[in-house]
Amino acid sequence: MKNLVLTFLLALLVVLTCVSIRRMLGGNSTFAGQNSALVAIGTSPVPPPPPPPK
Amino acid sequence: MDGNLVSYGLQYAGYLIEASLILCLIASRQRKRQVPLAFYLSSLLAAEVARACVLHAYGLKSRQYSDVYWRTDFLVVISLFILVCLFFRRACLHQEKMWRYLRLWLTFICLLVVGISGLLFSHQYGNLFTDFVVEFNQNLYFTCLVLNTLLYLLLQQIDSADDQLGLLVCGVGIQFAGPAATLALVHLMTRQGFAESLFEFTIPLCTLGMLLVWAYAIVPVRGRAVVTRSKATVLAEVTANLNV
Repeated sequence: MKNLVLTFLLALLVVLTCVSIRRMLGGNSTFAGQNSALVAIGTSPVPPPPPPPK
Repeated sequence: MDGNLVSYGLQYAGYLIEASLILCLIASRQRKRQVPLAFYLSSLLAAEVARACVLHAYGLKSRQYSDVYWRTDFLVVISLFILVCLFFRRACLHQEKMWRYLRLWLTFICLLVVGISGLLFSHQYGNLFTDFVVEFNQNLYFTCLVLNTLLYLLLQQIDSADDQLGLLVCGVGIQFAGPAATLALVHLMTRQGFAESLFEFTIPLCTLGMLLVWAYAIVPVRGRAVVTRSKATVLAEVTANLNV
């Protein structure tokens, strides 16, 4: 049980760190708007990001 | 026009290398061991083919291409997360206890990324599926970046004798770290036009970099043997030779 909680907390730490890094680099808004760049994978040309939700 | 030519060159070079690597893996003697890589490359190629068809039909700035691009990116990022998990499994091949712990940890990470992306997105309703997918993709991408770095550190820590795995992990590192570093640079630069054009070529170039490193790791070349024996096996052989 103790190990399970520890594992969960470690996973939470990693995910929150990643989301913080992403928000720091990708702007403060939750969803990237027209002026933000988004990371992707592949050699196809990257389209402009989708417009932010209204 | 020159930018378009470079873009087309990168795009088709990528398809060519992906298809060649899949064929090479199918023809490989260690076919069973390379199933995760073949799975990832197949999903990447399928996504790229779908993108190319829609790009050809509707154009770069169309809504259709944007939708297909980000939805196929979902498939690719999920496949890459599974690949990183399978790399963890390969790194812990002789350490069952550590793998049991890591398996649980990776499951929690996947669930937390879904949960946190949902929470961050819950107050916004636009094009529900595409917008959630983009949010989820970005979060999972950065999570994979951190996981891959941790995997590299783990390989150094356990002093893994699997050189091929080390190269494969470095290739994934190029794919993740390049665009993330360029994204940081874009936000630091004041000349937005130059930054955006730099970013446009970074993603294809990093994917190509990853594919080329993988090709170096996978394609058998005479005179370059990939060490896959465990440290214990190597030690046993050296001791046996010394005794003789």
